[in-house]
Parts: sequence; structure tokens; C-alpha cells
Amino acid sequence: MMTDPTNEFFRELGTRGNEPLLKDATATVRFDITQDRQTDRWCLQINHGNVRVSTGDAEADGVIGAGRSLFNGIARGEVNAMAALLRGELTVDGEPDLLVLCQRLFPEPPRTRDRQPGATEGWRRS
Amino acid sequence: MFSYDTRFLSRWVLTTDSRRLTALSTDDVRYYETKFFLVPGTGTVYVDATLSVIRQRAVAEGFREQLTILNHDDKPVSLDVRIEVGSDFADLFEVKDALRKKGKYYARAEPGRLLLGYERESFRRETEISSSQPVQIAEDGLTFAVTVEPHGEWSTDLRVTPTIRWPGGQRRVLSSRRNRDPGDMDENLREWVADAPQLECDWESLGRTYRRSLVDLAALRFSPLIAGSQSLPAAGLPWFMTMFGRDSIFTSLQALPFTPELAATTLKVLGRWQGTRVDDFRDEDPGRILHEMRYGELSAFEERPHTPYYGTADATPLYVVLLDEYERWTGDTTLVSQLELEARAALDWIDRYADLTGNGYISYQRRNEETGLENQCWKDSWDSISYRDGRLPGFPRATAELQGYAYDAKLRGARLARLVWNDPAYASRLEEEAADLKRRFNDDFWIEDGRYYALALDANGDQVDALASNNGHLLWSGIVDESRADSVVGHLLGPRLFSGWGIRTLAEGERRYNPIGYHVGTVWPFDNSFVAWGLRRYGFKDEAAQVAAGILDAAEFFQGRLPEAFGGYHRSLTRYPVQFPTACSPQAWSTGAPLLLLRTMLGLEPIGDHLIVDPALPVGIGRLELLDIPGRWGRVDAFGRGRVEVDTGPQLRAQLGEQAAAPPVSRPRRADPAGPRATRTDPARRSPPTTGR
Repeated sequence: MMTDPTNEFFRELGTRGNEPLLKDATATVRFDITQDRQTDRWCLQINHGNVRVSTGDAEADGVIGAGRSLFNGIARGEVNAMAALLRGELTVDGEPDLLVLCQRLFPEPPRTRDRQPGATEGWRRS
Repeated sequence: MFSYDTRFLSRWVLTTDSRRLTALSTDDVRYYETKFFLVPGTGTVYVDATLSVIRQRAVAEGFREQLTILNHDDKPVSLDVRIEVGSDFADLFEVKDALRKKGKYYARAEPGRLLLGYERESFRRETEISSSQPVQIAEDGLTFAVTVEPHGEWSTDLRVTPTIRWPGGQRRVLSSRRNRDPGDMDENLREWVADAPQLECDWESLGRTYRRSLVDLAALRFSPLIAGSQSLPAAGLPWFMTMFGRDSIFTSLQALPFTPELAATTLKVLGRWQGTRVDDFRDEDPGRILHEMRYGELSAFEERPHTPYYGTADATPLYVVLLDEYERWTGDTTLVSQLELEARAALDWIDRYADLTGNGYISYQRRNEETGLENQCWKDSWDSISYRDGRLPGFPRATAELQGYAYDAKLRGARLARLVWNDPAYASRLEEEAADLKRRFNDDFWIEDGRYYALALDANGDQVDALASNNGHLLWSGIVDESRADSVVGHLLGPRLFSGWGIRTLAEGERRYNPIGYHVGTVWPFDNSFVAWGLRRYGFKDEAAQVAAGILDAAEFFQGRLPEAFGGYHRSLTRYPVQFPTACSPQAWSTGAPLLLLRTMLGLEPIGDHLIVDPALPVGIGRLELLDIPGRWGRVDAFGRGRVEVDTGPQLRAQLGEQAAAPPVSRPRRADPAGPRATRTDPARRSPPTTGR
């Protein structure tokens, strides 16, 4: 597979090991990413914050489906997954809560501009 | 019919033989059910009909209507019964702002059902309409050829189901009450009311208000689209039937002694949606609790930022306050443990993201300047935050109550860190920060010549010096120096803020004061309920009773359903509370206000595994019993008798003021606080409350 934002997202996710934002979650989520007639599948096995990523078919508690270009946008932080779901561009089969969970893994949008007033010393962001 | 912020049915007109009908009566059977009795024809004074039409509507999975026609004549009758239908699939934002649709409509008449649809790119919403009786279906309506025998009846069941459809063919019913029959809802409401404490009171009006509050709270339960089947309080019907951080938290706090499960769901769902990244469009930061979630077309296409929108400065500290208060009532340390990460992230947000000017206070300024919210405190209208002379400060604004919430959140977070998270070092750090915040706040916000706290600090750190009800929230949070409480209470119950019905949002005499201005002079029942709690916290029992008396007395004029706000006119001027023209009824935190006022009047306070009861009730209330209050103690009862003489001004209504004839108080008085205590089992509950004086 080529390297694109989707591939890179799942590859990086597989190196995180423990993701504290998912500490309460134990679930298997599959992502079905389609392009033309081809569907690539990634499977996230989440066990109290430990995330294992594998490719290929697997039984899952929920399946999130999206076109590759859409998911590239999500992986770059440019597309909001919840809005995409409401737009009909993204689907969730099974337990819909899983999307809320997975949304925590998606990156933030590219910054449009520096944060105003505190852009000086106010934003004590580490 | 609206569902999840989209209007799925905008036209639903019944005719018989092409004539409209006249409604003889309407009966709101339940919050989810209404019955209309009608006769054919309109426009005449006399009704001389031999036909009756009954339309019984229920909100279930979508909407159902049982249409029944009764023939009272000796002859059979044949009729063309027609229902015109249509949907504009308007997003709530479009309805409010009168915007144009960008997509295409379609309609399909299929055997046995009519499908109305709206499509914009991959966005698709459909309304399915079907009937239990044979029907002729056209794209704009349903027609029945009906014959009713002499003294007979004809009936059909109509179903209207809102759905979301994905291009791949998946379909989902958009209903907060999926798979629910009206019968189930009946049972559910009965259980809901039966599960809440029972109220017995000499003052009948209070009983009515209490029942109304419980039923309205049931109606306002809302299951977020993707949060399973759990429900939490939505903000208000019909415009705010969605998740709101601030409203859901305040309402859950008010309802804790009555229906603690609402708080549990609110904490779980808001925790799940807690911000994790910096997103300027949504005003999101890591740790921030959401402001508002919306599911309509404009949110889907990111023309509005509500998926969800995070622009609120108070929900995040209040989240920690609710978590701690919830544990104090229920003893549910499991949930506190599960939400440790979320609570810590919320506490982190206060110092790391909310201190926009670097001066150590929470302040707010939207980053989404097009569709974000300007005022991110509960007084969110454009002119709510002003100087005495009416000028409006620039941004960022650090309103006073936000600092109180932050102070309270740190102390409560510290308690949970010791009790549940096993992190005493973190607890000590939070306590030191809280103490430092209180010290600084009392220096920077205190207005020496007025002897009250400023409404806000502006971007330069100067005081925004108008006198407002926010001072009462400061009492609730405990950030007020003991030595200053007398002055603050004197203002709250004084003639500039206290109208006789309640405490005004902004004091009379301020340049922007207007008794019918949204946040600049009206009285908000929700605001008052938290101020009453604050008064109790500092030991001002009689003053808390006075506030409760005014608001609960007002509730009687609204048949037990308090509006969001009412006019700030003095009670002696209007004799009745003047309703503010408001969009939502019921409104969740107004619905919750009588509940919190009951708590404050009875002086209910969980201490350890016991419930302290320390009543201070207005005289006119007579005997009050609240039975089976749920909590970590199991169930206990609380009793009280009205002993506090409240001032209702001259010649006012008898119920609560029959013995009072003095003018409204301008200074707090301390009366004999003694009142009977609750006693069921535990003598420890007789001990005086630790927060009292």
C-alpha cells in the first residue's frame, strides 16, 4: 500500500501502545476504507487503553466505513468525523458510541491562525 | 415535528369533504400525548354537527396519530378524509435565522406509505408516513374514502417516522424513544414519578409545582444520537432539545436529591465528548466540556460549529463540581474513579487553556468569530456584562462567577483526589491553588465603595463594576470571604436586586437595568435557586427561605411551570410575575429550580453517610414532608414546618405572606433558626450542619 495519511494514521496508532484517552474502553473496531472497488480494512483491538492495530478482516463490535479520500481528511485533522457521519459520508455499523471513542484518536485540525489575545504569553500550553 | 434539530413534518392538515375542522377541545393527556376533539367546518358560531373527529397524537418512535370519526346520525355517512402532508426538512438554525435550503426535495408515493425526502450531496433525511387503513397515497397527501355506519365509528393509525439514510442504503430511525410505544412511555413516566421522593405539603401549590417539575424533567430527558439509550436533561423544548454542557450540569445539580441518575448520565456523556484537541472552529481545547451538540444540516456541513461546539467557559469547572456533589449524595466512587482522567483534564483546562490573559483567572473570547458565541458565561446575551455606566467591556472577559466555579472545582477535585484517586500530593496542590485564587479574587474583584464583587474583570484587569446577581453564585461557590458575606447578602436581598419575587440579574440603578431585559433586570428562577443554595452555605437561612418563597409563589402563577425568566418589576407594582417572552417552555433549569429550592429550604446536606436536615421554611408553607430521599443512606425522610417570616411587601397574596406586612428587607436579618429536624433512624442527623453558622 502507498503511504498516504490513512496508512500513516494507522501505522502511527500501532506504535502508541497505550492510549490513556481509551483507558476505559475494551472493544474491537474495524475501519473499512474504500477506494474505487477496493476496501482496505484495519482492526483496532482496544483493551483498557492498549491499542493493537492489525489489517484485514476481523469480527468487530462496530465497523466504521468511509471513502479513502474522506478518511485521508480525517487523518490529517481536516475533516470532522461527527459532521461527516451526519452528512452521510461516514457510516457506523454496530455500536455507534464507538465513533465517539475513536474520535478521540483523530488529530486536531491544522491551525488556521494563532490564538488571539493570549498568543503572547497568555496561552500557557505545554 | 422536529427530531434531532431537523423538522421532519411541517404540514399536516386534516380535511373532511375538503373542509377544515374546528377544535372543540384539546387535552394534553401526557407530555408525549395530546387529544383533540373536532367537528367538521369552520367559521360559524354554532356547531351543529353529526360527526365528531378525535385526533390522538403521541410522540413515540417518531409520531403517531390515531384518527377516529364518529357518526352520531341515524344515517350512514360517506366522506372524503384527506391529510395534506409536507416537510421542509428545515434545520433549527434555518428556522431561527430564516435561511434558504441548498438541497433538493423528493417525494415517493409507494404502496401503503408515503416517503418525503431531502437530499444535499450525501446528506439525506426522510420522513415515512403510513396508515393502518387502506389509503390512496399521493406525493402531497393521504386520502381515505370513508363510510361510517349510523352511530358507528371509523379509525386509522397514522405513523410518521423520521429517518436518516446513508447513500449505501443504511437507515436509522431518528428518535430519542426508539422502539417505544406510548404504553411503554406511560409506564416509564409512572415509574419515574414513583421513584422520586414523595412530597406532602400544607401549601397545595407547592405540591402542584413539584409534580409539574418531575413530569417536565421526564419530558426533557434526551438520548444523544450516539450515546446508547441513556438519557440526560436537555436544555428546553422545543428549541434546545439537545445536549448542553452548562444546562445539563446545572439541572443535574438541582435534581440530585430527587433523581441522581440524571447526574450520572450527564457526567458520563459529557465526559465521553470532552475536548481532546485544539480546534478553533469549534472553540475546542483539550479538557474542555462541550457547550452544545446539534445534528441538523448546517452542523453536518460545518456551516455551524455544533458537532459539538465547545464555546463555554463555565461547563468545565462545573463538571468537576457536579462529579463531587454526585459522590457526596450517592457514594458512587466507581464512577468518580472511572472519570478520573476526565476530571483531571477539566481541572487542567482551567489553568492551561482558560487563562487567556495570563492573570490567573478564567476568561473567554471566542476563536470562531463568525459563528462562535461571544458571551461564554450563562448570561450569554450581548449586553449582559456591563460597567455601571452602561459601557460594555472588550474581550477577553473574566466574569466573577467563573472564578467561583474554578475555586469550588479545585477544592472538590482535591477531595476526590484524596478520597478516590489516591493522590494526596495533587489534592494539596489543588488546595493551595484554590486558597491563592480566593485571596487574589477577594483583592481584585472586591469593590470597596460599593461593598460587593465586580461583575467581571476586563481585558486590562480593571473591574467591570455593575452590581449583578453573580454575587449570589459566588456565595454558592464559597469564594466569598466570611467577613464580606453580610455585605453581599445585604445587596442580594436589598431593594436594588430583590424584587419581592426574586433576585434580579442586574441591579436597579445600573445604566443598563431594564426589568424586561433578558439578562439585565429579569428574574431567573434557576439563578435564584443557586443563590439560595449559596445563602444556605454561608448560614443565611432566613434569606434563603425568602428567596425560595418568592420564586415558589411566582410558580403558582405559572401553574407550577416556571418560565426561563420573568420581569424584574417590584412585586408591589405588578402583583403578579410578568412573564418574559421566551422561546422555551419547559426549560430544564427552571424546571429544576423548585427542586433545588426544596433542598435549600429543608437544609438537606449530605455529610459522610448521613443526610443532614436543617429546615428553614417560610411561614405560609405550613408543614412540609419530603419522603424517601435517595442517597448513600438508602432512603430517608425530611420534615419541616414553616417558621421563617418572610416579607412579601404590603397587601400581597395570603399563601406565603399572611403574617407579613413589612416592606421588603433591605438588610439580612437573622431569625431563630430552630426548626424540627428529620429523624428516621440516625441521631447523627440531628447534629448541626457543618456549613451553617
